[in-house]
Amino acid sequence: MSTDQDLVARWAVEPAPLLPLLHAFHNRDGYLSEAALRAVSEGLRIPLADLYGTVTFYHHFAREEGGHSRPRVCDGPICKLRGSDELMAELDGATPMPCAGRCDDPIPVLVENRYLAGRPGAKLRETPAPMPDDNPGELEECCFAGIREDGRATLMGYCSDGGYGALTRAVREGSPAGVIEVVEASGLAGRGGAGFPTGRKWRAVAEAPGGPKTIVCNADEGEPGCFKDRVLMDYDPHAVIEGMALAAFATGATRGFIYLRYEYPHTERILEDAILDARDAGLLGQRILGSDFSFELYVRRGAGAYICGEETSLLNSLEGKHPFPRNKPPYPVTHGFEDLPTVVNNVETLASVPPILAKGADWYRGLGLGDHAGTKIISLSGDVQRPGNYEVPIGLPLDTLLNDWAGGPLEGRTFQAVTMAGLSGGFLGKFDDVTLDEPCLRARGSFLGAGGIMVFDDRRDMVDLARQAMAFFAHESCGKCFPCRIGTQRLTERLAGEAGPADADEWKREVADIGTTMAAVSACGLGIAAPLITQSLLRDFPDAVDANLEARKS
Amino acid sequence: MSTITIDGQSVPFEDGETIYEVSRRLERDVPTLCYDDRLEAFGACRLCVVELEGARNPVASCTTMAADGMVVRTATEAIERHRKTLMDLVVSENPKGARIDPLRGLASQELAHLAVRYESDGSRFVGKQSGTSRPDDTNPMILRDYDNCISCYRCVRVCAEREGDYAISVANRGFETQITTEFAGLLEDSDCTFCGQCVQTCPTGALGDLRSMEAQDQPGEFEKTRSICPYCGVGCSVDILTKNEKIVGVQPAMDGPANLGALCVKGQFGWDWVDSDERLTQPLVRKDGKLVPASWEEAWERAAKGFKSVVEKHGRHAVYAVASGRAPHESAYSVQKFVRYGFGTNYVDNCSRA
Ligand SMILES: Cc1cc2nc3c(=O)[nH]c(=O)nc-3n(C[C@H](O)[C@H](O)[C@H](O)COP(=O)(O)O)c2cc1C
Ligand code: SF4
Ligand code: SF4
Ligand code: SF4
Ligand code: FES
Repeated sequence: MSTDQDLVARWAVEPAPLLPLLHAFHNRDGYLSEAALRAVSEGLRIPLADLYGTVTFYHHFAREEGGHSRPRVCDGPICKLRGSDELMAELDGATPMPCAGRCDDPIPVLVENRYLAGRPGAKLRETPAPMPDDNPGELEECCFAGIREDGRATLMGYCSDGGYGALTRAVREGSPAGVIEVVEASGLAGRGGAGFPTGRKWRAVAEAPGGPKTIVCNADEGEPGCFKDRVLMDYDPHAVIEGMALAAFATGATRGFIYLRYEYPHTERILEDAILDARDAGLLGQRILGSDFSFELYVRRGAGAYICGEETSLLNSLEGKHPFPRNKPPYPVTHGFEDLPTVVNNVETLASVPPILAKGADWYRGLGLGDHAGTKIISLSGDVQRPGNYEVPIGLPLDTLLNDWAGGPLEGRTFQAVTMAGLSGGFLGKFDDVTLDEPCLRARGSFLGAGGIMVFDDRRDMVDLARQAMAFFAHESCGKCFPCRIGTQRLTERLAGEAGPADADEWKREVADIGTTMAAVSACGLGIAAPLITQSLLRDFPDAVDANLEARKS
Repeated sequence: MSTITIDGQSVPFEDGETIYEVSRRLERDVPTLCYDDRLEAFGACRLCVVELEGARNPVASCTTMAADGMVVRTATEAIERHRKTLMDLVVSENPKGARIDPLRGLASQELAHLAVRYESDGSRFVGKQSGTSRPDDTNPMILRDYDNCISCYRCVRVCAEREGDYAISVANRGFETQITTEFAGLLEDSDCTFCGQCVQTCPTGALGDLRSMEAQDQPGEFEKTRSICPYCGVGCSVDILTKNEKIVGVQPAMDGPANLGALCVKGQFGWDWVDSDERLTQPLVRKDGKLVPASWEEAWERAAKGFKSVVEKHGRHAVYAVASGRAPHESAYSVQKFVRYGFGTNYVDNCSRA
């Protein structure tokens, strides 16, 4: 067994060492002991009180002996419908964890570093993530075009289909400016939530003074109801790696990190293997393909915090700091990792880049419907015949996705509500004429975001779903800013009927006032988006709210 | 010259100034709770939000740099409504904080004053309280009454940024955040130096000066007298708090040129000797191993004899004098004169060297 000194010596020399060093102790001891934290504090010169506070920020670091091996059961909105409470009761010492990104094949359970799935009464098993079905609309895809092929996750499989061709061409014959031009012209925009134009982000980093520059792949995928990044990394890891290498080539970055959510331990192994293979083939590391372009790539595993998907919180987490989001501006493009120019892009965004460079900007633009450019992966889950990941042309009618592609509601049921952007876009109760693109959804007071859509049929209690959603945001609020820290708590209490005015009008006024202020003045996207839950509930389900408030009186 | 327009008034500003700083120069009364001049702006309370033309949402003025051509409004109806909601929210988790004795600390009334300004009485947004007090921390200097904590993190930031001590930090997240030392222990077992700076920046009195608080129940208001800390050569400016002509506390002066609001444990908490019964009021000499009152003549005699015999036996360099840092210039001068001239040695020093 490694000694404390071995572990510290192994990691202290690496970039972004805190998380992997803590995981090393966590894996070795089954929890993070006081002695371990003292060794880490000394080894990395982090004040002990800071380190202690930072460790308590993360959901998955156990601080009591044996904690790491206690089962953690997903109690996300979909798993809850599938019996996660019962499953939790069946498993000794189990505790809940927020949505673990397997809403298409519930219920995920983490035991140490094993990712299992099961239902109440059934044996837990380690099964691979469901592969996306063939495109039901028989439409051309970008990200999923090659993913269903056997052996795609291996270097050979990826290369046999033209993989790393875009990188090779860029390095041998292309130029950084040329890559940026194509990405800009393609209209590719961030697929992680905020939808910022990717080419513009890369250009800003390329032009920013200072270095070394960094590419961060945001693989935190913490949004409930989102499980698309996992399937991309599991079945097409080299597409993500090639996308990162292209971003590095385009911007002059020399190092990269994949910040992977804690809940995907199997994906970590897949990525590590793929990186080793790519490095052996001269596609990563020093002097890539014999050129003078070098790019080192590291995987860093998170520890359970939705806010660490927010890019500046992520950067603080990587740097070993308390993961509060930073004040913006300045943005990561100039002041990112270690305060140096940094690209932060979502997995799907990066995986879209190699096909775009291989087939051209016009090809990608043309995949969208009408004026919309490109495609988006939708993670569809809940009360629908065929949940799963679907790559849709941007602008596709939601109705087509729900009824034609995914088979419509369950036998004898009708759709009541869908969520957008996982939970962050709130609920839609009227969605017959919605198309899947930002202009349409923003006009409805919602947004497409990372593309998680949860479907709830007529059996579901909307107020209770809203309570669960708000409880998630309260659980994940970082606690930095007042409106979100207190607001998510107060809204949860009101939805649960634990506190708040008995009078219905006064109740609605309080809920609306908290929401308005949170949305306007919160310090980051979590607090800005969270009140969409209550706002959409009041907007689209006023009768459910009234009935709920009425029932409380008796 | 770059200018910014604030509430219709166009003003020049310097590079690196925030909207908040410019607004304050113009005496706009922008409310804050997480702000402390001496610390890096943090952006937690959001009370300082202002309307910025062209921005979708209000911006926190404390963290937003002034830029040429910005048009800012500091107190529109919408902005004031957000502030009212924020104040109602923060008072709802901390209803006691609106009634805190000012002896707890220099900034302890900030929340109370804003609660009055925004008429926040705790009647809206009722719900669970945050923060857990630490009555188990029985140190005699710092009260840790986290029931009143509003998670502004000024204490944590002052400890790191000003004292450089990193004794405290933030545990957990969201509504469960809690100010903590390593492993949630006692201050005494942490790196805390008991400088008291966290106490003096706390805007709610969640951290309190226990020594001063002893005078809470005495009738009357306290008075403040500006002075210099008597302990060492740094010369920190302090305000001495008195009630009925007796010292009841010391607070650092934020505008003290040597300390800018900082003190150390001695200056902050070490004032109770002034009225101590144990202070010497007359000369004492030791007789048969016991100290007994003596006349000044007898005491001088004994001291002189003692010094002389040491010098005779061990030579002049056997004497070493340390002047009190609390001594005025003239006394310190006399000490060195006495040692050099009287004994013939240069072995003389001052306790403020540390
Ligand atoms: C609370 C919160 C959580 C987020 N979580 C993620 C995430 O898990 N993955 C992600 O790619 N982006 C997430 N984002 C968005 C990132 O901040 C950032 O915009 C994105 O990673 C940029 O990449 P893109 O431009 O490729 O989308 C989150 C944002 C917020 C406010
Ligand atoms: S909005 Fe919420 S998550 Fe974001 S900084 Fe504020 S408290 Fe943290
Ligand atoms: S008394 Fe000083 S050292 Fe101790 S916690 Fe407060 S600021 Fe830090
Ligand atoms: S103890 Fe005081 S200074 Fe520290 S976070 Fe709480 S309210 Fe702010
Ligand atoms: S003073 Fe600006 S957010 Fe608190």
